[in-house]
Amino acid sequence: MTLPEWMALAAALLITRWIMAALRRRYGRFFRHPTAGWATALLVFLSVLAVAAPLVAPFPYWLQIDIVRLKNHPPSWTYLLGTDLYSRDVWSRLIYGARISLAIGALGMLVALTVGTVVGAVAGYYRRWVDAVLMRGVDIGLALPRIFILLMAIALWERLPIGVLVLVIGLTSWFGTSRLVRAEVLSLRERDFVSAARAVGAGPARVIFAHVLPNAAAPIIVSAALGVGNVLLLEAGLSFLGIGLPPPQPSWGNMIADGQHTLLHAPWTTLFPGLAIALVVMALNSVADALRDALDPREEST
Amino acid sequence: MRTWARLSIVAAVVVAGACERRAAGCSGDYCGTLVMAAVGEPPTLLPTSTEEVVARDIAEQLFLKLADVGMSTNTIGDEDFQPLLAERWEWDGPLTLVFHLDPRARWHDGMPVTAADVAFTFVAYTDSSVASPFRSAVRRLASVTQRDSLTAVFRFRERYPEMFYDAVYHMRILPKHLLLSVERSQWRTAPFGRAPVGNGPYRFVSWRAAQAVELAADSTFFLGRPRIARLIWRFTPDMQVAISQLIADQADVREQLATPENIARARAAQQLALHPYPGNTYGYLGFNLTANGDSGSPHPIFGDREVRRALTMAVDRARLLRSVFGDFAKVPPGPMSTLLWIWDPEIRQLPYDTVQAARSLSARGWRDRDGDGVRDRDGQPLAFRVLIPSTSQIRRQYARLLQEQYRLVGVRVEIDEVEPSVVGERVSGGRYDAVILARVNDPTPSSGVPQSWTVGGRSNYSRYRNLAFDRLVDRATSASTREQAQPAWRAAMELINADAPGVFLFALDNVAAIHSRVDDVRIRPDSWAALLRTWRIPSDRLIDRDRVGR
Amino acid sequence: MAWLVRRIAASIAIVFAVVTITFFLIRLAHGKPFIPGGDQAVDPAVIAVLEEQYGADKPSHIQYIAFLRQLTRGNLGQSFALQRPVADALAEAIPNTLILTGAALLLDFLLGLGLGVYQALRVNRLPDVVLGNTTLFIYSFPTFWLGLILLLVFGEWLHWFPIGGKTDPVLCPAVDSFRCTLDLMHHLVLPALTLGVVGAAGTARFQRAAMLEVARQDFIRTARAKGAPERRVVLRHQLRNALLTFITRFGLAFPFLLTGAVLTETIFAWPGMGRIATEAILRRDYPVVTAVALVASAMVVAGNLVADLLLAAADPRLRSASADVT
Repeated sequence: MTLPEWMALAAALLITRWIMAALRRRYGRFFRHPTAGWATALLVFLSVLAVAAPLVAPFPYWLQIDIVRLKNHPPSWTYLLGTDLYSRDVWSRLIYGARISLAIGALGMLVALTVGTVVGAVAGYYRRWVDAVLMRGVDIGLALPRIFILLMAIALWERLPIGVLVLVIGLTSWFGTSRLVRAEVLSLRERDFVSAARAVGAGPARVIFAHVLPNAAAPIIVSAALGVGNVLLLEAGLSFLGIGLPPPQPSWGNMIADGQHTLLHAPWTTLFPGLAIALVVMALNSVADALRDALDPREEST
Repeated sequence: MRTWARLSIVAAVVVAGACERRAAGCSGDYCGTLVMAAVGEPPTLLPTSTEEVVARDIAEQLFLKLADVGMSTNTIGDEDFQPLLAERWEWDGPLTLVFHLDPRARWHDGMPVTAADVAFTFVAYTDSSVASPFRSAVRRLASVTQRDSLTAVFRFRERYPEMFYDAVYHMRILPKHLLLSVERSQWRTAPFGRAPVGNGPYRFVSWRAAQAVELAADSTFFLGRPRIARLIWRFTPDMQVAISQLIADQADVREQLATPENIARARAAQQLALHPYPGNTYGYLGFNLTANGDSGSPHPIFGDREVRRALTMAVDRARLLRSVFGDFAKVPPGPMSTLLWIWDPEIRQLPYDTVQAARSLSARGWRDRDGDGVRDRDGQPLAFRVLIPSTSQIRRQYARLLQEQYRLVGVRVEIDEVEPSVVGERVSGGRYDAVILARVNDPTPSSGVPQSWTVGGRSNYSRYRNLAFDRLVDRATSASTREQAQPAWRAAMELINADAPGVFLFALDNVAAIHSRVDDVRIRPDSWAALLRTWRIPSDRLIDRDRVGR
Repeated sequence: MAWLVRRIAASIAIVFAVVTITFFLIRLAHGKPFIPGGDQAVDPAVIAVLEEQYGADKPSHIQYIAFLRQLTRGNLGQSFALQRPVADALAEAIPNTLILTGAALLLDFLLGLGLGVYQALRVNRLPDVVLGNTTLFIYSFPTFWLGLILLLVFGEWLHWFPIGGKTDPVLCPAVDSFRCTLDLMHHLVLPALTLGVVGAAGTARFQRAAMLEVARQDFIRTARAKGAPERRVVLRHQLRNALLTFITRFGLAFPFLLTGAVLTETIFAWPGMGRIATEAILRRDYPVVTAVALVASAMVVAGNLVADLLLAAADPRLRSASADVT
């Protein structure tokens, strides 16, 4: 790391601070949770780093600095988190990896959330055979270990573009969400305001999207926050089995997978991406907790 | 959490204590238990029906061949072969070979080994419904008949230098009285394959699926009682875990350590001794000379000999090798492993020369016209995909290093990591650009080289076609001594190096890690476990593991 | 009763659907069985013979009919790659997976329950906050990463536990069964810990939240108002109520444990179903893939069913509702 990168890092910290201050002013209630502040700060910081990766990373993520002499070099001032088996800078790859891992996490979750919400809402709203058919489909999805479905789905492609990876992960992660949403919708659809909307002639789509779903937002948002973490873990697990992004593209998952063979000699190659995943998942859990508290009407009094 | 940890430590101590108390068992010269840390598990122990290395290692102990190559691994003629089931043999005319079986040889159920078993074995290896992967290895034998109960007669279709090798090397004699009743199409799944009865130095004891196979010394073995009493193959799906078992002293033998990191770990473990020996594997980046998916037309990039030569010169093979293997491999002077006698560093090869490489790429019209760092011609970038099996750590490593090497000369490489079966399907069907393959050599160049590089060779996946090369190989394989064959082999290798159908990346130098209490370790390079029956553990060096008796 | 029959029928239908989908999906995948990885020569004649012997040369729907016919006779077919009957391979592997997941579940629940209750009793005090963050941290580990670290630290460095495998092949079956059982438990610790600890962290969080939820409800306040000692109130009322939600989790935890077992079994060389499943998919061993789908989905569905039954037994009010919820 040289001076400009240190400065970029400091700038990233300042930007994070600034965003946090703004958020705190706006959403005080959310930040009453003991760790929500730290968690959000971490997520914001990582996002800033990911966006500004070319400025902050001292080396390109693909650069093999010296494949004979700098292979598995321990952390030092030049190589902040050490180098990996291919003499690439782990810190730089971690930052670039944040881009991909966070993107896969967010997009995969978005796919899962969309599908899950739509299926759950439709099933809950229409009930009868629509519900029966959709929910049996969900049962089928839940009846197989997900890693197994993924392994098979991935066997269908000869090579896996990142878009497909996201889709496959997303499309196998929505089953839980759909059950949750359906349960919410089932209980909401009998409420007065929904009946009222129906009485004035609102169509099913309008009722679902304008009246029912906004009121079921809390559990959906919470499950979304948890969902990102699950997708991250899943991507890591897949990389471990040798399925994932094409090299030399870094993601935290394939960094761990690449490093597993040198766990003994160069623990830093797996330790840091592992910690990164753990920290993000942890932060998201905290955020989900805080959201649950903030969105829970019963908490109002305390 | 703390309580749990404490509990489990208590449990550990109890178990450990239990082990020590029971340390009476065996004593004397014929003691000892040897545990091999094997990677992967064989599907069957019936030698006709699997090519897996671990299956071969176990079969070496269970089923004997008539004779086998010696430490020199000379495969021409019959002088260097060691008698096993056959106590002697003689030639009866140019095409007939007569084996006299050792009358002391017995199956482990007590039945004598007879010439009828030999004839039966030959039929099994050649029967299409057995579908043996070794079927083509014995294709030049016409028949095997029984003259009397201890005399078997082999007849050949033609005369050639390695007749004797073909007669004995791939066939392990099987018990007719136990296998005759098994339907030929059921041999792959025969229960016999999971509880075999052999004629070798060790008897089969047990096989626990996904865990271990155990063998016990046959004290009446006719070539001398094996010195080590028990052999156990432990099956582990992952190489790193297998090596950890070895280092933590939960296994005794790992015949290959593969990476310099593993070798360093094994060297640091005090109970282990390292034994280097020549490797039988070489690896290369193979180009598909015909278009991806269409073997009728030339490949747009690799169809051009000059481009292939440039792509070979662009790779610093020595540096890549040092990065991946340290000192434990060599850059092969052609498509060969260090095991082969034709190995000769003097064979002429293309040099590492990026300047020359860049110049000839430009000369062939591949220049970076759009400034994106990748050369192009007629609007097509100089880019190709390299296929590798996702299960091979070494090749994953090489693919990434090559990707970076090629980037430096303006060539874009993308890596497809797929399951081994997909690699097999695509290379055999010609649906690929480039692939990193690792080839395992028999101890003779006469089988591997023609198979992989001549027209009509069954694994000539590069579709390499040079009739001058084929003629040289033909001359080399029909020479009757190594001295006569050598110049032809050398010329053939220099020709293929100049044509550059692939970049020959590495040839392994194997290192075995074996517990240092084991004495008389002899490793035959083509099959490390072939002489296991002569290894021994001196009675004053026995450890707990050796004393656990049945 | 009718409810139970309907539930079982639905479960069977789900398993059937899973098996059917798997059957066709795996045959659509790239790569063929019997083809060795590109390193060996491929002899088309040999492959043709093998495909014919195993019936893999026929169109998928014909294979499907043949498969169903065999299935009704309880025959799962022959594995391509393991070269033995699928049923034999699974019969050996399933108990091992059940031992591992059973131990992990036990650890998950005992540890999770204990921690959750402990935290709820000290809510928002220092032990709660520390434990809460620790469990959250562990909950966020990738399972296989935790496994590798445990193997490294407790296996290779400290030598406390053996590295991989189910028993020591030198000892078992050579010594008596009591010591083999001890040896098995010794081998079980690390994989069960890997699989169970992450779940336990989740359970602890869940249990804590559930207990706090119950604490807000009226009957607890009433009990407290009647003057019952604090601890008794907590342990009786809160625990019993929280257990209900807990049982629901049992059904849900099962598929996650199976997923985790795939990776854990590979790392710890545990001879279970997860390892067979991964290998089978990699090697395109169609009959094994289908059979694993059958067994895994049956286990999950059965887990759900048992959870529902337990729930219904524990709280009759839920009997009709649970049919809907799950």
